[in-house]
Amino acid sequence: MVTYIVRRLVTAVLILFGASFIVYLLTAASGDPLAELRASNAPNREQLIQARVELLDLNTPAPLRYFGWLSGAVQCAVPFVGNCDLGRSIQGEAVTDALTRAVGNTIMLVTAATVLAIIIGISLGIITALRQYSGLDYGVTFMSFLFFSLPIFWLAVLLKEFGAIGFNNFLTDPDIPLSSILVVALVSGVIFTILAGGTVKRKALAFLIGAVAAGGLLYLLNLIDWFTRPGLGPIVILVFGVAIAYGITLLTAGLKNRKALYSALIMVALGLVAYYVVNPFLGAATIWLLLFLAVVTVGVGMGVGFLLGGYDRAQSMRTAALTGFLMAGLIVLDRFMVTWPSYVSNSRIRGRPIATIGASTPGLEGDFWIQGLDNFTHLLLPTLALLLASLASYSRYSRASMLEIMNMDYIRTARAKGLSERTVVMRHAFRNALIPLATLVAFDIGALIGGAVITEQVFAFSGMGQLFVQALLRTDPNPIMGFFLVVGILALVFNLIADLVYSVLDPRVRVKA
Amino acid sequence: MRFGRTSKAVGVAAAAALALSACAANTGTETDEGAEGEATGGEIRVVEVNAFSSFNSGTAEGNVDINGTVAYLTHSGFNYINNDLEVVPNEDFGTYEVVSEDPLSVKYTVNEEVAWSDGEPVDAGDMLLAWAVQSGHFNDATTDEAGEVTSGSSYFDYAGDTSGLGLTDVPEISDDGRSITLNYSEPYADYEVAFGTMTEGGIGMPAHVVAEKAGLADEDALIELIQTAPEGDPEKPVDRPELQAVADFWNTGFDTKSLPTDTSLFLSNGPFIVSDMTPDQSMTLVRNEDYNWGPEPKIDEVTIRYIGEAPAQVQALQNGEVDVIAPQASADTAEQLEGLEGIKVLRGNELSYDHLDLNFSGVFAEENVREAFMKTVPRQQIVDTIIKKLNPDAAPLDSQLFLADQERYEEAKENNGSEEYAEADIEGARELLAGATPEVRIMYNRDNPNRLDAYTLIAESASQAGFKIVDGGLGASDWGAALGNGTYDATIFGWINSGVGVAGVPQIFKSDAGSNFNGFSDPEADKLMDELIRETDPAAQEDLQVQIDKLIWDSKYGLPLFQLPGLNAHTDQVAGMEYMPNQTGIWWNFWDWEVVQ
Repeated sequence: MVTYIVRRLVTAVLILFGASFIVYLLTAASGDPLAELRASNAPNREQLIQARVELLDLNTPAPLRYFGWLSGAVQCAVPFVGNCDLGRSIQGEAVTDALTRAVGNTIMLVTAATVLAIIIGISLGIITALRQYSGLDYGVTFMSFLFFSLPIFWLAVLLKEFGAIGFNNFLTDPDIPLSSILVVALVSGVIFTILAGGTVKRKALAFLIGAVAAGGLLYLLNLIDWFTRPGLGPIVILVFGVAIAYGITLLTAGLKNRKALYSALIMVALGLVAYYVVNPFLGAATIWLLLFLAVVTVGVGMGVGFLLGGYDRAQSMRTAALTGFLMAGLIVLDRFMVTWPSYVSNSRIRGRPIATIGASTPGLEGDFWIQGLDNFTHLLLPTLALLLASLASYSRYSRASMLEIMNMDYIRTARAKGLSERTVVMRHAFRNALIPLATLVAFDIGALIGGAVITEQVFAFSGMGQLFVQALLRTDPNPIMGFFLVVGILALVFNLIADLVYSVLDPRVRVKA
Repeated sequence: MRFGRTSKAVGVAAAAALALSACAANTGTETDEGAEGEATGGEIRVVEVNAFSSFNSGTAEGNVDINGTVAYLTHSGFNYINNDLEVVPNEDFGTYEVVSEDPLSVKYTVNEEVAWSDGEPVDAGDMLLAWAVQSGHFNDATTDEAGEVTSGSSYFDYAGDTSGLGLTDVPEISDDGRSITLNYSEPYADYEVAFGTMTEGGIGMPAHVVAEKAGLADEDALIELIQTAPEGDPEKPVDRPELQAVADFWNTGFDTKSLPTDTSLFLSNGPFIVSDMTPDQSMTLVRNEDYNWGPEPKIDEVTIRYIGEAPAQVQALQNGEVDVIAPQASADTAEQLEGLEGIKVLRGNELSYDHLDLNFSGVFAEENVREAFMKTVPRQQIVDTIIKKLNPDAAPLDSQLFLADQERYEEAKENNGSEEYAEADIEGARELLAGATPEVRIMYNRDNPNRLDAYTLIAESASQAGFKIVDGGLGASDWGAALGNGTYDATIFGWINSGVGVAGVPQIFKSDAGSNFNGFSDPEADKLMDELIRETDPAAQEDLQVQIDKLIWDSKYGLPLFQLPGLNAHTDQVAGMEYMPNQTGIWWNFWDWEVVQ
């Protein structure tokens, strides 16, 4: 195992050397850094050209220049010396600084989208696999392929038009006309019908429930002016909490495990108490305080599960911890919603909260909640765009993998020995279906840092993609090489991780040195 | 009945939710509305395409439009350029007067109360530093054929032209330390915009800060250094470590993408001062409270956001996130903006213009052939096809030296014989060619759609007259290097007129000048241009330019085609913006901007 890793790492270093050399040459050949100056009629044209030649050392052939860059770059490999020199951009900024900033921005942009895409994509895949060839399956397949094939710049423009400009217009006078409520009710009814499946009677009932629920909810929200002053309130938190408790128990332990169910419900009750106790102190919250509280919540959940015990303590502990965590999420969500009106009425926001560009509102001052909402309103659209575009691959992969697993002999054996369908799906099929996805996820995380070039461009986000594109437009090799180093190293490392993880997850695969 | 129970429960829960929504936890987030305070001038948000990178817009690397804009907002100077491309003195800042015409001597005096935002007065020391940079006085570098410096050094990495102030000797400083006098060794036409123009960043860098950061004792030490150091002589380069330190700091010390903790690195002597920066995203400037030497802005705050893409700019404008945009002009953008409610669109010409140049060699050595070719160029059709959809008022450019926005353009146009080439004259061209079928290779930037369209139209029209056109179009990264290398007979590309000043004229049209790619040479024009760059009277300069323009047209040089259109837009929440053709763009009268309440 160790020899295997060492061998892989050595190869990776060699690959990096070779690839960086090629990338350097390609960059140097990609354009003429003097182009704008050559056609200039400035009286000091020669002088400017000479200054640029000197700055970029253009009289030295590119293959030799590469070694100049390399001599600075290899120092980055020496730890704790701090001699890392990746050169400077044409504009004089150290590439290491630019990279740090760009990586940070990119991570901010892609994290939520990636996590959501993985969770939603896999869930959709599993569900559609379990109901293969149903209306739901076809619907999801159609939608995911639709979003997959839409060019992201166009998707982004549509999102901005309706998600930002249209929605902001709506917010200035949030009154939903009856016709819109009816349309939403109809659509919701159809979605419920598709989800329900089964007999005609069942479908009709589902349609009715869906339509009435959505229409009624929208009507009610409109009536209490929820869109200007959103919030959940203790009752809704309680209702959602109980629903979560049942849902989580159903998935992790099964409702028959009463101990698990009770520990989850206890967590809901504790959460409701916490809602009253903690809320007054949340005004001065920081992200660290929230993380601390999250850890405490999970800890309490495990404690509750442990105390209620039963023959399988771990199940109760898991259920309670998860329920508690989601309950805490509800409280935080409620807090954000309650802050919303003061965010929207902030003079910097001008009553138009959903943003189409950038990562934050310049000059906005406010506590953690206001800043958090500002991040949310800025990241909402790019995250949606990335999410919609990447849903397809996850849902299709997990669907295929789940279908394959469900036809395996051991699933039939599991059913034959009388296990409940929940146990068969969640314990025997789901876990094994995730194995092939581990490689996919590892790859994707490596690739994502490389930047969502087009998304960044369209949403004026200055991450890795912008760093790369802007440098390429100026034929500026140093930032490109910095970009390449980060992306290249990540790709190689995550490749290695994917292989190792695979061998850990699937005992049939063994890494041989 | 289970169903009944559930629905009852839901009903009770919903009712309870409504009833109990009053018992929500105390979050302390009750919005206190109307806490606005006294009425203020408000805030305007403007979009720029590029991201800010340096507080010194004078260096070759820092000389980007956005850095220049920030310099314009934070620095004052002796004059600025208005949107009729005229020089407007700013006497609240200081005065400049011509002490003597010949030899030319100009005295610059900064007014008493003018100061940097740290309280230090703006005085002769700051002007002296600006002079040392812009004159290239100390440079003693020698370069070889390949452009490598073989000996000596170029101290300040200045982006502008040093040939103007290079004519001056070390300036005298007045006793009160508020004025300097520049003595030119020969008259210099552009003296008015050669020094301290706000459009070029005014008096940009504080001498006391540069002195301190370069390790000198104080500003006086820097003055002493500049006044005593001998002029640079490439024959006998001298090592000057103190000056090198000053230059090194000036060259790179002000480069930053985030707001420095050291406030001395972004001192302001203009209407605004930077208060916040988010790298590659935005920048906020607030009013410089001390400033009263020059036009005073009505607004309190300017936010600049960087958005590269035109569609993203338009949608941000539409969403009210920004108030003013200046996107790259394209037909789609123009159309999209026109369709929006509550948006005002400003259109006009830019200073850059596309032109067709004919080589004075090869197939075009004969004047007849050049004339015939010029006759075939469908200039009106080119404008109609490429520019009309962007700027409905567009017309072909009819002068090689003046732009349509300049006062003497009409006169030059009447005088230079350009009306002969207003429309394509295929018959006339045929007659001139008398049956000959010359082969013409046209070089242009194939990746620029405007140039490609212009080439296509010209090639089609010229073929009708009997020319054999060879497509010599090159890719975006190659065409610039091909300029003047003799592999083509005609070329279509763009130049940028400076709008103010005449130093650019000989750079293009004088025999063997740096940007004279087609080998144009006319002794009479050369003589007039020598006169032009020594003429200090604006009216006389323009007279000379009208004459030179005619000589260029008479020699069948080629044809100017069109000025590129520019596009600005702003919401009707703000007012006071006016179109400006030069690089200052929409910003030029930011002091007139206001928020409509």
